[in-house]
Amino acid sequence: MTKHTIVQLTGIDKSYRLGRVMVRALSEVSLDIARGEFVALAGPSGSGKTTLLNLIGCIDKPDRGRVVLDGSDVTDVPLHRLAETRREVLGFVFQTFNLIPVLTAWENVEYPLLLRGVPRRERRVRVERWLEHTGIADQARQRPDQLSGGQRQRVAIARAMAGDPKLVIADEPTANLDSETGTRILDLLGEINATTDCTFVFSTHDPALIARAARVVRIRDGRIASLDEATVAA
Amino acid sequence: MLTKIALRNIFRNRRRSAITLAVIVFGAVGLILFGGYKAITFVGLRESTIRRIGHLQLFRAGYSKAESQKPLEYGLDDAASIRKALERDPRVRTTAAQITLMGLISNGDKSETYLATAVEPEKDRAMKGHKLVSGTELPDAESDAVLIGKGLATSMKAKPGDYLTLMTTTVTGSLNAMDVRVAGVITTGVREYDDRAIKMPIAGAQQLLQTTRIEKLLVFLHRTEDTAAVDASIGKQFAGTLETKSWKQLASFYQQVVMLYNGIFGFLGLIVFGTVVFSVANTIVMSVFERTREIGTMLAVGTSRSLVWRMFFAEGMLIGVIGGLMGILAGVVLAQLINSGNVMLPPPPGYTTGYRLQILMQTPVLVTSFVISVITATLSAILPAWKASRMKIVDALGHI
Repeated sequence: MTKHTIVQLTGIDKSYRLGRVMVRALSEVSLDIARGEFVALAGPSGSGKTTLLNLIGCIDKPDRGRVVLDGSDVTDVPLHRLAETRREVLGFVFQTFNLIPVLTAWENVEYPLLLRGVPRRERRVRVERWLEHTGIADQARQRPDQLSGGQRQRVAIARAMAGDPKLVIADEPTANLDSETGTRILDLLGEINATTDCTFVFSTHDPALIARAARVVRIRDGRIASLDEATVAA
Repeated sequence: MLTKIALRNIFRNRRRSAITLAVIVFGAVGLILFGGYKAITFVGLRESTIRRIGHLQLFRAGYSKAESQKPLEYGLDDAASIRKALERDPRVRTTAAQITLMGLISNGDKSETYLATAVEPEKDRAMKGHKLVSGTELPDAESDAVLIGKGLATSMKAKPGDYLTLMTTTVTGSLNAMDVRVAGVITTGVREYDDRAIKMPIAGAQQLLQTTRIEKLLVFLHRTEDTAAVDASIGKQFAGTLETKSWKQLASFYQQVVMLYNGIFGFLGLIVFGTVVFSVANTIVMSVFERTREIGTMLAVGTSRSLVWRMFFAEGMLIGVIGGLMGILAGVVLAQLINSGNVMLPPPPGYTTGYRLQILMQTPVLVTSFVISVITATLSAILPAWKASRMKIVDALGHI
């Protein structure tokens, strides 16, 4: 692992129970992601993309293998003890946006900063900056149910970025958006990636989005099928 | 932020929160109204009991343990000097001498047993321990005048102005009788007592019993709260010569009512507790269920388990606080309505007259109902909140 590697997965196996049947989600997966990369995990539904993201995001544990995140081996640390790692190192963007419904866009972005104990003035600066950056400043006082899907996802991106994470994990971030909005969201993620040193790992099965990734990790039946260096679409 | 999220979530599902709050308010109002009714009943019963029996009763030492062979064997000889000493205490309002005796009463055709209380007429009038049905109160200087209970008057076919004969055993053990004039017919509100009751002047009773002694001294205080302190100082002052009994020791009926009402209040409290527990727990469980994905998101973005727990715990507590405050408000308003409504209740068992329903608004009752609401709602949230905080993040997020 070089000093620029943010994620290192080695020999990961992961099975889960589906009813009475055990399903093997990942098998012998090893993957390194360098700092600042813009990586797409591509593959059909059920290929293991989300499971892999969950392991990288420290919200699930492998059955076998090692997970090293930002230089720390987190494999044997219980998930509830990784709350601080998730807070300090990671940012999450979900397919279904997952904003806190009772909080406004502003408050949703502010929430992780409150968890981190960021002082009030700095919180305000950061929230304003990221609401501005994601183009949602005018909707700052709206609650999620008053926003469109694209606007919600922008708030979610602002929330993920406000904490200044080293790695943002985005699970099918455009799956619930129309293709035009999806493209804009991906443009936004790409632009943030280009202007910060934040690493982005996102899952998708949309070929148009895959084409925009700097690097594509193709997964099939729980195994890494190929590691492509794609050309970023202009 | 914690309180903000909890509070906003309460108002998120308004219908469900409204039902939960209604249950808490209903329970709190029940506690306030019954507590207020209980309080005014206790105060009323206590004061009417004290008017009858005094705050303290003083007897000759040994009275309660000795088995008297003859009437007034353990009576007080020198009541005047004792009374003088007692009435020097500023906490003491007045003292009254009393003798109780029993025997036979006759109208010439028929005899009945009676239970007489010999009193000082002037003091007795001030006590207002009975209600005059007909005739007059006991006159000051007429030792053979009596007041007769309503039931006994009916049985004796006696009316004011009639003469009856009282018979009893004297202090020496012989039988004595005297003719008495019925000054008035009274009722105490207790039917059984009215069937046997006679009130007569001390002088008449002493004449009938052939003694100069009195049985006991009733001590009336300005404030009921001073009873224990005055009891203690009398005990010190007259150690070895007198023994005292407080109204609490003597008023067995009052104690029984207190026990009964406290039991009912406790039972009502339990019902309210159970109802609120289930209602609030249901609300929080439903809230946790509906917000599973939200909890997963919170945990994913780095919220600690304890913060998730506190969030739902705060929700339960806030429901309790809001419900408790609304309950106090509704309880006070309802109590005012009842108090101004002149609602009459039927006579309680053994009584002959009904009484007006009144609710006494006391701070302890309001505080108790509020505290019960908050504690119950908060306790109800513990388990669902704990379950929320222990969710598996991937399951909660709906991912595998």
